Amino acid sequence: MHRVSLKVTGAQGQGINSVGEMVAKGLKRSGHHVFGYREYNSVIKGGHSSYQLDIADSHIESSETTVNILVCLNYEGLKRDLSTLKEGGILLHLIPSWKFSKDDEQLFEDRKITVLYFPMEKILKKYNARPIVGNVLVTSVVWGLLGRDHHNLKEMVKEQFAHKGEKILDMNYSFIDEGRQFKDEEAAENELELPAVDSKRKDDLLVTGSEAMGMGMIHAGCRLYAGYPMTPASPLLKYIAEKQNETHMVVKQAEDEITAIQMVSGAMHMGTRAATATSGGGYDLMSETLSLNGIIENPSVMVLAMRQGPSTGLPTWSGQGDMLLTIFGSHGEYPRMVMAVSNAEDCFTLMPDAFNYAEKYQLPVTILTDKHIAEGLYMQQQYDLKKATIERGIVTDQKELDALTSADRYNPHAVGGVSPRWLPGAKAATYCAQGDEHDAEGNVDETGENATQQMDKRMKKMETLKAELPEPVLYGDQNPETLIVSWGSNKSAILDVMKDQKGVGYLHYTYLWPLHTKKFEELSLKAKRTILVESTYQGQLDMLFKQECGKGCNEQILKYDGRPFFCDELLSKLSL
Amino acid sequence: MSIPLDSSGPSVNDFGCQTECTWCDGCGDYGIMAAAKRALVELGLAPHEVLLCFDIGCHGNMSDKMLGYRVHGLHGRVLPFATGAKLANPNMPVMAFGGDGASFSEGVNHLVHSVRSHYPITFILHNNANFGLTTGQASSLTWQNQPMNTSPNGIPEDTIRPMEFVFSLQPTFVARTWSGDIPQMTRVFKAALQHRGFAFVDVLQACPTYNKFTSHEWLLEHCYDANAEGHSPKDLEAGKKLACDTSAKVACGILYQTEDIPHFYERLIPRQNIKTTPVEEVAITDVSDLLKEFV
Repeated sequence: MHRVSLKVTGAQGQGINSVGEMVAKGLKRSGHHVFGYREYNSVIKGGHSSYQLDIADSHIESSETTVNILVCLNYEGLKRDLSTLKEGGILLHLIPSWKFSKDDEQLFEDRKITVLYFPMEKILKKYNARPIVGNVLVTSVVWGLLGRDHHNLKEMVKEQFAHKGEKILDMNYSFIDEGRQFKDEEAAENELELPAVDSKRKDDLLVTGSEAMGMGMIHAGCRLYAGYPMTPASPLLKYIAEKQNETHMVVKQAEDEITAIQMVSGAMHMGTRAATATSGGGYDLMSETLSLNGIIENPSVMVLAMRQGPSTGLPTWSGQGDMLLTIFGSHGEYPRMVMAVSNAEDCFTLMPDAFNYAEKYQLPVTILTDKHIAEGLYMQQQYDLKKATIERGIVTDQKELDALTSADRYNPHAVGGVSPRWLPGAKAATYCAQGDEHDAEGNVDETGENATQQMDKRMKKMETLKAELPEPVLYGDQNPETLIVSWGSNKSAILDVMKDQKGVGYLHYTYLWPLHTKKFEELSLKAKRTILVESTYQGQLDMLFKQECGKGCNEQILKYDGRPFFCDELLSKLSL
Repeated sequence: MSIPLDSSGPSVNDFGCQTECTWCDGCGDYGIMAAAKRALVELGLAPHEVLLCFDIGCHGNMSDKMLGYRVHGLHGRVLPFATGAKLANPNMPVMAFGGDGASFSEGVNHLVHSVRSHYPITFILHNNANFGLTTGQASSLTWQNQPMNTSPNGIPEDTIRPMEFVFSLQPTFVARTWSGDIPQMTRVFKAALQHRGFAFVDVLQACPTYNKFTSHEWLLEHCYDANAEGHSPKDLEAGKKLACDTSAKVACGILYQTEDIPHFYERLIPRQNIKTTPVEEVAITDVSDLLKEFV
């Protein structure tokens, strides 16, 4: 696989994302495979943030630790990121009369790096323009360094700015010409050789995990969304809120996470499809309500977008440390399902499944995602919009409703533990969704016999659900000597690394609870190496394996620095 | 009070069930439950046509003492649950019941936001000024200088004045009634159920076991029907004054109401002119238009 990369660094608020996104879109439309990765700090202005774009000749979903082109909009990048430049790389920066250290000069010499100073401030002054509009200038230079035709860039700029009037559009056209002129005069020889084009993927979507998930929820028939802002779950709230006038959904920014999950629970109980998303701290607050939904057998769907660390931790970085929280968190024992998305494909296609499982089995479903997926920019083949089905398990037929008695609602003898559910308002016998231990009708019943019977009934749903859930998927070698096991966003880097490897298989877990272990046991028995790859300190999936089947992986590659697995980093750690 | 003579509609018996009541003798909850049933029946609502949401506390034990679609949820959280349910199906009358512990201690934030958000639900505050079910601890509405379980010297904090609190949030419906007057409660509950937005009903509730300072007798002596004495609920300032001044007498009835303020659901731009409810709209939805911006 041929892959190259470029990184734009700067302070938050300098518009580095728009440079990255515009270049990504342009490259995708020309048939290149791209993947976008953002890093930023928990501040509005300042900080040190970056947007990295990896470009390849086949599908990629990961980043490299080193880059071919580094663009520094402020001096922070010059201080921190020079060592990420590859041999023969290009450094483009905007700082007038910046003095590089001797070490820097040596690095440039050793790695044959071209250093370009782009006088953006001077050009902006000429047009009497604000610094923020300089994005297009920088994009234009980068566009030239990638050897692209500036005509395409003008078309994209037109799409983006046409609604702002002719004057602004003309200024941006001039910026593109200025950028091209700079490139032609100062860096005529400097052009990055891009990987070959794959014309089949031109019509792909370029979408973040959060956008994909928002569309997936809408596709699944979710009609109410309540959320409280918390990175990295906020982009999902933002997307769904922005689309409310098109989707006509009820969107509520709640006063706190408890309110959000309570509203979602009330809405699901009444019979619509509703969802919420939060990160670890918000999930802690919501967990009491999950326990309620467990005992009243109320379906609910919630997203936990993970970041790294306890408490506020690293609020704008990624991690997987909350997996066991979703499986064991909150009080009492109750049936629940935990699933993890891995990329923009999952974010869309698994949403109808999540709602179907929640409703069919009348239990809370937690969808794990992380900051890397939520904010990663994926190239995604057009979704199959005909595939999703809806399964709600609700009694709606009036004849069936007429036959129901209150005691059907929590009938302890129901097949598979799944008793009939009918909605408030249905012309039928009424019941109480009772948070106390209750009898079949929902009346409080504290007898030991009843408590045992009802717990047995509810927990039986876990067996029924487990029987329906698919086994984990094995990618690569179907009889692998080296078996990698992981879940969530790690899948992307693992699959990218595996493209050039033989004898390596990757067992990917989407459904984490209830957990299937049969395939893992069989494969790990035959493999020489079984390696857990996870963004945690404890190796949580391995802990689960040992609990569930008494066997674990014989190697672990763990990471808990908030950064995702980079493909070159992972390759070296795997020492294949 | 008008008892409908038309026997074809729902009756109070329809809401009855065989579960044994577990409240203390003389508990105000008996009266509140009777009034709730009557109000629903007089509005022509059958048990399957209403959602009744209960918080945790003595009042919450009503959840299996009458029929109707009922929810008995978490302590302090009845308002957001009821609100979520109502927003999913705005055609369904939703009543939320909560005690003073749940509404002024654990979940006071939800009360604030429910009033300011104008959610179209009815909230019945079972105000017995203590935590009854956990055997008589002080709530934030307990009077000072009252020895209570866990506060033998009385509470060191100030007592929240619920009416001043609620009136500060620009409410659209504020009523007060008391647990010994079933006809008055019935009238107030009916008006609350028919109110356009968020209806706040403070029911002063006798708790013969733990509340010695506002007993049934005290309430009987102090409460009076302000509407019967000519108070018009249209005047915010007059209603507030009457509600807050309880030094000599306690004004009951509908103290303030305006129907001129749109409720939360009516304010949602995406729901304008939409005839269906979110419950009815659940289906696999075509998103091809949304996908276009990403190509």
